[in-house]
Amino acid sequence: MALLELDDLSIEYRTAAGAARAVDGVSITIDEGEYLGLVGESGCGKSTIAKAILGILPPNGAVTKGQIRYRGRDLTRLSLAELNRVRWRQIALVPQSAMNGFDPVYTIEQQINEAIETHMKWSAAEKQSRIAELFRLVGMEQSRLKDYPHQFSGGMRQRAMIAMAMVLDPNLVVADEPTTGLDVIVQDQILHRIKEIHIRLKKAMLLITHDMAVVAENCDRIAVMYAGRIVEYGAHDVFERPFHPYTMGLCNAFPDLADEGRELISIPKAPPSLLDLPTGCRFAERCPFATDLCRKLEPALVSVGDGHVAACHHVARAAEFRDSARHVRTWQAGPATA
Amino acid sequence: MHGLRAYLLRRLILLLFVVVSVLTILFVLFKLLPGNPLSVFIDSNYSDEMVQRQKRLWGLDDPLWLQYVRYMWNMLTFDFGTSFFQMTPVSGIVIEKLLHTGAMIVPAVVLSVVLGALLGSWLGWRRGSRQEGAVVVGLLALRSVPSFFVGILVLMVFSYQLGWFPPGGMVSIGGHQESFWETILTLDFLGHLILPCLVLMTREITSPALLLRSTMLEVKGSDFLDILRAKGLSERRIRVHATRNALLPLVTDIAVMMGFLFQGQVLLEIIFAWPGVGRELVSALNDLDYPVAQACFFVMALIILVFNFIADVLYGFIDPRVAYD
Amino acid sequence: MAEAEILTASGARKKSGAIAAIARVLGVIGRYPTGAIGLTLILLFAVIAVIGPAVAPFGPFEATQNELGRVARLLPPSGSNLLGTTTQGIDVFSQLLWGTRVALIVGVISAIGSVILGTLIGLVSGYFGGWVDEVLMRVTDVAFGIPFLPFALVVISIAGPSLPLVILLVTLFLWRTTSRVIRAQVLTLKTRPFIWAARAAGASEFGILFIHIAPNVLPLSFLYMAIGVQGGVMLEAALSFLGFGDPNVISWGGMLNHAFRAGAMRTAWWWVVPPGLALSLFVISVFMVTRAYEELLNPRLREM
Ligand SMILES: Nc1ncnc2c1ncn2[C@@H]1O[C@H](COP(=O)(O)OP(=O)(O)OP(=O)(O)O)[C@@H](O)[C@H]1O
Ligand code: SF4
Ligand SMILES: [Mg+2]
Repeated sequence: MALLELDDLSIEYRTAAGAARAVDGVSITIDEGEYLGLVGESGCGKSTIAKAILGILPPNGAVTKGQIRYRGRDLTRLSLAELNRVRWRQIALVPQSAMNGFDPVYTIEQQINEAIETHMKWSAAEKQSRIAELFRLVGMEQSRLKDYPHQFSGGMRQRAMIAMAMVLDPNLVVADEPTTGLDVIVQDQILHRIKEIHIRLKKAMLLITHDMAVVAENCDRIAVMYAGRIVEYGAHDVFERPFHPYTMGLCNAFPDLADEGRELISIPKAPPSLLDLPTGCRFAERCPFATDLCRKLEPALVSVGDGHVAACHHVARAAEFRDSARHVRTWQAGPATA
Repeated sequence: MHGLRAYLLRRLILLLFVVVSVLTILFVLFKLLPGNPLSVFIDSNYSDEMVQRQKRLWGLDDPLWLQYVRYMWNMLTFDFGTSFFQMTPVSGIVIEKLLHTGAMIVPAVVLSVVLGALLGSWLGWRRGSRQEGAVVVGLLALRSVPSFFVGILVLMVFSYQLGWFPPGGMVSIGGHQESFWETILTLDFLGHLILPCLVLMTREITSPALLLRSTMLEVKGSDFLDILRAKGLSERRIRVHATRNALLPLVTDIAVMMGFLFQGQVLLEIIFAWPGVGRELVSALNDLDYPVAQACFFVMALIILVFNFIADVLYGFIDPRVAYD
Repeated sequence: MAEAEILTASGARKKSGAIAAIARVLGVIGRYPTGAIGLTLILLFAVIAVIGPAVAPFGPFEATQNELGRVARLLPPSGSNLLGTTTQGIDVFSQLLWGTRVALIVGVISAIGSVILGTLIGLVSGYFGGWVDEVLMRVTDVAFGIPFLPFALVVISIAGPSLPLVILLVTLFLWRTTSRVIRAQVLTLKTRPFIWAARAAGASEFGILFIHIAPNVLPLSFLYMAIGVQGGVMLEAALSFLGFGDPNVISWGGMLNHAFRAGAMRTAWWWVVPPGLALSLFVISVFMVTRAYEELLNPRLREM
């Protein structure tokens, strides 16, 4: 059953240069106990989605269309008091900036306790044993509880943040790039912890990352996002047999997914400005397979397999694209001119 | 905590070192005095023998090192000797004048901090608006206007022209009560306090306002506030976090302000004929009353140093991030 | 502080001499509205300081006389005495012009002196570290422990008031902040790759310090020099107002002192307001320039 449904969700930021629609008609669902990965380049709107789920968009950002339904209730319509009961108790967040996610002038323990006290009436002993349990779970020493955030390394803060996110045993944890800024070994450790927690506690997870390899390794289902839209969505098929050229490009960029001896290719150029979106396919500017049709008409998501959708006019030629997408020159040549 | 103790010790030693250095400079200065410091009250018809006796009495015959040691000891034990002029113990005079100065400074600082902090958080809130920009530039400009001229103007207008306030002094003639504390509880004192206090505030309010504005901005933009919201905390709790973070640097600011003002408002004391320690220094220098001048100078320096010391230490206590290294 | 380098890049790399560099900086400051107003005002003050005494209708201590040959005391402003006269019949307007020169002399000389002193100490202290740094910084600590105004009063009452002494005292007061700021800047510069490169290329310690590091702290030194001019003028005014200025010259603070003591606050606003206003205006115009300059050095200020 669907735990969280984003239904035709659009989110805009008011800027000096006009409204920037950072998320545009996104529909994804997360089932109970499911591990969903959300991938896309920097700036495509991933954090915006995470913030919208928890209702912490900045003052200039707002949901302009669609719903965020948690167990059928639209979170965007709840009063602050109602929303506060869902926050952390039901849905917790490991923020992209866990480095700065703790208040610097309170100890870690005080801050985790504060999360508990806001929602539960636990005794001191209960709180203590719960925190102890979680620190074990994320692999941290009890002795560090009385420390202040600045005394922690980046990796430890991230773990502490995960512990804090899990402390109320929420049904969904949104982890927004939980490993940015950490070195590779620590990244692996932390992702392992999250995966372990997911398996042991059967909690639903939304893992946000720009790293296709991480998603491939950890998630049950994958949503690929580009310039505010979902361009491909499905199970492991998504990176095993991608139908959208952007997904193909993303897979190229990560060595773990590439076949032996294949070159690492990154997609040239940058995504379009949200304030000046093209009329046709948003990827056309960078897509080596773009045609006139692509530049005129925006493609809709079409089914390409069992629970697998992609938003490309030329899904029929996907096999051909996949072949040529392996070669550097395909990408270097720039968008097709035909 | 070990680091803290070592840090405190080091700061204390530094404090002592600076105090002793300042005292030494002071000693040298007063030794450089042209002529005889006793000339003020040695009459020209004193006989040589009488002069010698006076010199012995004031210890001016002893070898220099002994004078230095005695001076140092006396100063550090706040034994400032006897006023040449008033013939009473200097420490009593200085304490009285310090209280008077404090009676002007403390209300001004308290009000400046409270109002400045409110103004600052409003500015932080209205960040980027036109009013905010104007107020900030206004505050910065205000900080550079010489407050003694503001004092003169204010006195000219509100006291001499409009007659709303007394033209200086701390109380009206005959207004002194039994004790200092009784005196400052009179309405008469309040009437005398308002103008100098306001003038001090025009300047002193700028620092907490600008400070709180920038810390507020910093705190408002910080990620941990998002997490607090995501945790489902009430708005009130979140404000507690924000304020606690934003107020930290203010504590240091208050201490520094206090210390600075004890020497910085000599001018206002002169303009408003306020019988404080700064005015006492000026008149002691004019009267060649060196023991009093010395003591006034010393306590002013000491107060700055002690308040700066307090600021440093306090900041460490309230901000866990400060590393004592 | 990384932003400071942007400026340095233009200020120091082109080897077209200090004057040209200053001119360029002033040009950029002039592009900010506050900077332009401030610069114009300062220029005006500078012109007055230079030609003021020459065009002043009366001498700084010259008593005006009326038709009857008596001293014209406390005349309100009129055609012949633009800002009236003092109790001794001295023309306030003339004194104001003369006073501008004194204010600027004290401000400029002590600012230059203090910045040279402070920059040198900051450079040496920050660059060499170790005991040199320890000693210099303790000296700085002591200097910070001395309350300026009381100290200056004591010294002046011992040595007797004179303009050079005032300048010296103000200089001694101003260098402390500069040296701390410069030292901090040097500490960060020291770790930059281009310093390593210079060392690897065999540059001597002093070579590195004065050829590679010093040019990079100069923009900051200029800032403190401007602030120093402001401080110098203010402090001179304060000392003179308290009656500890050089009695042989007239300055804005001295005028206020005379006016204050003569009770002109009750009787002769034209004697009190002009010197105070000139002082305030000068201080604010320097503030406007330093503000623009700071924005230039640190673009983040604009956002803050
Ligand atoms: N407060 C804001 N005001 C205006 N625009 C914003 C704001 N926050 C984000 N944006 C814009 O919205 C778009 C999406 O931002 P978002 O942070 O969701 O991206 P992201 O996918 O999380 O990127 P990253 O991988 O860098 O974290 C970006 O183009 C960004 O510039
Ligand atoms: S629609 Fe066209 S431009 Fe867009 S991804 Fe598909 S082929 Fe490329
Ligand atoms: Mg993000």
